[in-house]
Amino acid sequence: MRTDAIDMGMKLAGAIIRPLVYVTLCLPAAIVIVTSFTAGESLRFPPEGFSIRWYQAAIASEPFMNALWSSTRLALIATALSLAIGLASSFAIDRFRFRGREAFRTLTLSPLVVPMVVLGLGLLQFLSWMQLNQTFTGLLIGHVLITLPYVVRTLTASFVLFDRTLEQAAMNLRAPPWRVLWRVTLPLIGPALVSASVFSFVTSFGNITLSVFLGFAGETTLPVQIFTYVEHSYDPILAAVSTIVVLVTLAVIAIVEKLVGMETIA
Amino acid sequence: MRDGKLKSGRVDRSDKAAASGCLDAVAPVVSLRGISKTYGDFTAVENLSLDVERGELLCLLGPSGCGKTTTLRMVAGFIEPTAGSVFISGKNVTALPPYRRDTGMVFQSYALFPHMTVGANISFGLENIGVPKAERARRVEEMLTLVELTELTHRYPRELSGGQQQRVALGRALALRPAVLLLDEPFSNLDAQLRVRLRDELRLLINRVEITTLFVTHDQEEALMLSDRVVVINRGRIEQIGTPEEIYERPASRFVAEFVGLCSILEGSISDGIFMSRGGLTLPVNAATGQTTIVVRPEFIKPGSSSSGPNKLIGRVTSSNYYGAVSRLNVVVGRETLLMEHHFPHGTRPAVGDELEIEIDPAGIRAVAVSE
Repeated sequence: MRTDAIDMGMKLAGAIIRPLVYVTLCLPAAIVIVTSFTAGESLRFPPEGFSIRWYQAAIASEPFMNALWSSTRLALIATALSLAIGLASSFAIDRFRFRGREAFRTLTLSPLVVPMVVLGLGLLQFLSWMQLNQTFTGLLIGHVLITLPYVVRTLTASFVLFDRTLEQAAMNLRAPPWRVLWRVTLPLIGPALVSASVFSFVTSFGNITLSVFLGFAGETTLPVQIFTYVEHSYDPILAAVSTIVVLVTLAVIAIVEKLVGMETIA
Repeated sequence: MRDGKLKSGRVDRSDKAAASGCLDAVAPVVSLRGISKTYGDFTAVENLSLDVERGELLCLLGPSGCGKTTTLRMVAGFIEPTAGSVFISGKNVTALPPYRRDTGMVFQSYALFPHMTVGANISFGLENIGVPKAERARRVEEMLTLVELTELTHRYPRELSGGQQQRVALGRALALRPAVLLLDEPFSNLDAQLRVRLRDELRLLINRVEITTLFVTHDQEEALMLSDRVVVINRGRIEQIGTPEEIYERPASRFVAEFVGLCSILEGSISDGIFMSRGGLTLPVNAATGQTTIVVRPEFIKPGSSSSGPNKLIGRVTSSNYYGAVSRLNVVVGRETLLMEHHFPHGTRPAVGDELEIEIDPAGIRAVAVSE
């Protein structure tokens, strides 16, 4: 009887709290999206009327479109590098027992723990010492650093779950190591590779702190552009741009879901 | 069932084997020469030598952790021996990686590739050795027919039953026509009934393709019923190699006697052809004088007939269990407990506490070396 009452209470609490959490999570984005369709001159909720004029303005705005392209390019390249480095690292961490393995694992995950501002400041000094400040390479190094932990985490988890007898079976069937990797290991950790890339892309695409430190006139990422824009004007073009960012992110996730989904069916 | 092996026709082996000519015909298919494997100060396999002859089914039998799987994996190349050499078809393969050894392995978990269909699983090895597409399709078809799974080519492993998965694994291993088929506890993931049926099928299939097979199991019944020869392994060392009959009827050691089948063990000494156990039981035996251990299989102990003989004993029943075809009874004679297996017609099975006259068939009494 008593446990039933507790059970009921828990269920009820769950039924109330769950929608609240979802609403709170979605509300900011929803408000921005709704506001972006305003016909008025200022960023205000609820919006005044309906129009897509701010989208036209956003698309016509060279600084925003340049920044969007910069961010996308940076996120793609950073993700590719991060995947390459992260795959190799995770493979080593999972397969080999070497001295300093734990330290190495911690090192790859450490950018998660170090506050972004500290990382940014440190990198700024380091890169100028390396004479790489104010360069795309410098910015890219920063973004690889902050995306790497997500890749390593996701991939090491998937390696732990990987059944290595499958690799032995492949070897027994005359597959040399590279063929085992290509035909068995990679396809099977494919879903993890895909989710690692999504994490990595989204992290890089949405990052602002590091980009503020490492960005420069020629290479302004979208979040930085939005941030600087907000300082002097506050018009609905921001909402329109932000909506585009949300859409890009969602599109990436959707495409990838679709790809992974197909891989599991096929 | 074993008669199938006597057929003279041989399926052609891989082109490689055919090319290397008649030298192979005399060499054992697998030959282990004094192989050892140690991990730190733990010895998994110790100085083990063994030949698997062409066409035979040899079983490595032993308790878990005895080193039998380690041995199998050293043949396949997944584990490198600490010492000794592995020969396959007369060629020293000790330093070769798994993918350059002519073996086909069926793993305990089957290890089917979950992202490939049944057909693709079987085709995988053929692709690796560069068999052309048309020939590959033909061989896959041949294998599917062999393991009776033609209908399931396009299925994925997760859509198959345990028994079907095992057959795919078998087909996949055989598709390459390896010199030796390696089976690692292939029945351990199946339920009891299926296990019995599948091992009959496996034996028939192996007879049909006439492939040399090295088989690992901890199940003594499986070993006796499937094998041409059994190798009993204990603590990384060979206890006995012999036909199933030799292993069961003439165990070389107490370990073998106890591990393979049920038995009563009596320790004592022999003088003048009379065995006297420590528990005071006497039996006439045909063995040399001295300290010895006597093994009596339960089916050689019967309830006493009317005529008296030298092997007649009177004991008390301490347990009496019905198993259907037979009943198993523990009978205490003096201070020794004897296990007997006998079919008692309905209503005649002695109860616990009954006094029972028993007779031991001299053919069932074996003296084995005194264990250390």
